[in-house]
Amino acid sequence: MEDPSKEPVLQVQGLNVYYESFHAVRDVSLEVMPGEIFGLLGPNGAGKTSTLSAVEGLLKPESGHISIAGYDIKDKPLYARASMGVQLQATSFQPELFVGEIIRLYAGIYGVDMPQDKLDGILSDIKMEGAVAKRFGQLSGGQQQRVSLIIAMIHNPRLVLLDEPTSGLDPQSRRKLWEKMESMRDSNHGILLTTHSMEEAESVCDRVGIMDHGQIITIDSPQALIETNRNNPEVISASRKGKITLEDVFIGLTGRTIRS
Amino acid sequence: MQTNIPSASSVLLSLLRADFITQWRNRRAVMMSFIIPMTILLSWKALVEKFGGPFVLSNSLTLGLTTIGMMGYSNSIARDRDKGIFQRLRVAPLSTWAIMVSRLAVQSVIITAMIIIVFVSGFYFDKIELKPLGYLLGFFTAFMGGTVFLSLGQAIVGLIKNAETVSSTSRLVYTAFILVGMLGELNVFPAYLNQMIKWSPYGTVVHILGSGMQPVNWNQQSSLALLATMGYAVIFTTGGIKWFSWDSR
Repeated sequence: MEDPSKEPVLQVQGLNVYYESFHAVRDVSLEVMPGEIFGLLGPNGAGKTSTLSAVEGLLKPESGHISIAGYDIKDKPLYARASMGVQLQATSFQPELFVGEIIRLYAGIYGVDMPQDKLDGILSDIKMEGAVAKRFGQLSGGQQQRVSLIIAMIHNPRLVLLDEPTSGLDPQSRRKLWEKMESMRDSNHGILLTTHSMEEAESVCDRVGIMDHGQIITIDSPQALIETNRNNPEVISASRKGKITLEDVFIGLTGRTIRS
Repeated sequence: MQTNIPSASSVLLSLLRADFITQWRNRRAVMMSFIIPMTILLSWKALVEKFGGPFVLSNSLTLGLTTIGMMGYSNSIARDRDKGIFQRLRVAPLSTWAIMVSRLAVQSVIITAMIIIVFVSGFYFDKIELKPLGYLLGFFTAFMGGTVFLSLGQAIVGLIKNAETVSSTSRLVYTAFILVGMLGELNVFPAYLNQMIKWSPYGTVVHILGSGMQPVNWNQQSSLALLATMGYAVIFTTGGIKWFSWDSR
């Protein structure tokens, strides 16, 4: 029997997504291993969110195979979804519910017991002791992100999907979230992260995949991508301070044109 | 790390708890579903002697059911879809039917409360008393009517993705139903128009409610109205499910 800690927590093979005649995701394949933070990067409209939505089961791909923690999302959708935790781009919880009620709702949905002392402990861990009776809409952006992450992790999933988790956060909250992601990686969770922040990708991701026009154009560690593309004329011309960064590689590979 | 699939009942219980709390916190909006039929009940007191108690009760109930289906249900579904609340639930290990069953269960409780309030108020304020079978059939037909208006609300949310447009459309349809339906009941339109109104969703619901409350008066027309009501419910439900998208984009 194979060691589950060596098997990918996410396997995507030959994924194709269409919106009517528009081919949004073209033959995408990637893997996320346990204890790995994988960053999916790309300009607007590159197909990142469509890829993530297909993994989450929110849209039906035209073709391809997706498995989460060994569960095929077509054959065992409930098991696949129970094996992943999701933080969507928009923090989408009922605005009438208090934070404690939202956490209890999702604990119930994932079959996790949530007595009051456990709930208090969770909120205390994220420095939100007083938030249990606050409505979600009353929280700051950083607090909302922390609660979303708590809910994504409530059932200790093997795979965590984070869709632009740090957008709109101040540097302190961003750093805290990075630390949280790193501690999740250390406890052997696999993380698939989409971000527009190259600083974030360079800081926390073990590997990144750069997408453009629906395709993955390269996959490697941030440092390896920088090294491989150091002499690429497009990358050199994108460099602003002489030192090549992941952002220079990204601009060099995807072009300078602003996407809609 | 073991994959744990919670039972359908515990998932449904969690959803129900959250949906009832949400509805409770929106109780001002729910109160409208009670106030509007009560207003008709009290303001039409003088018509009880002329047209009979079931006439006033059936119109009050139909108005309440229309308010719940068109104003309450459709707008809450459109809003939650727009906010991405359904998308967040759909990435969790639960079936989509559980989300809808929970929502409809909340609406069923509101419908039940509204029916009881109208019957009790009719008894105390308008001195309308029905036979036990009349109350029983009144309950049953009111639920049938509630199904029509909930499914119509679902069809509107299915056809229109934008929450603002859902709100304005449901208001428009609601106002049209009330104006045309109630004036139709008072026979102020030409005969052909009255016939059309009689066989509209509003008209058939009023008819089955009125006949249900007086079982001795149930006739072939009442059975046809019941069939038409069921037909509307099937058509709107089919459309509402077929056209419905969980995402507003």
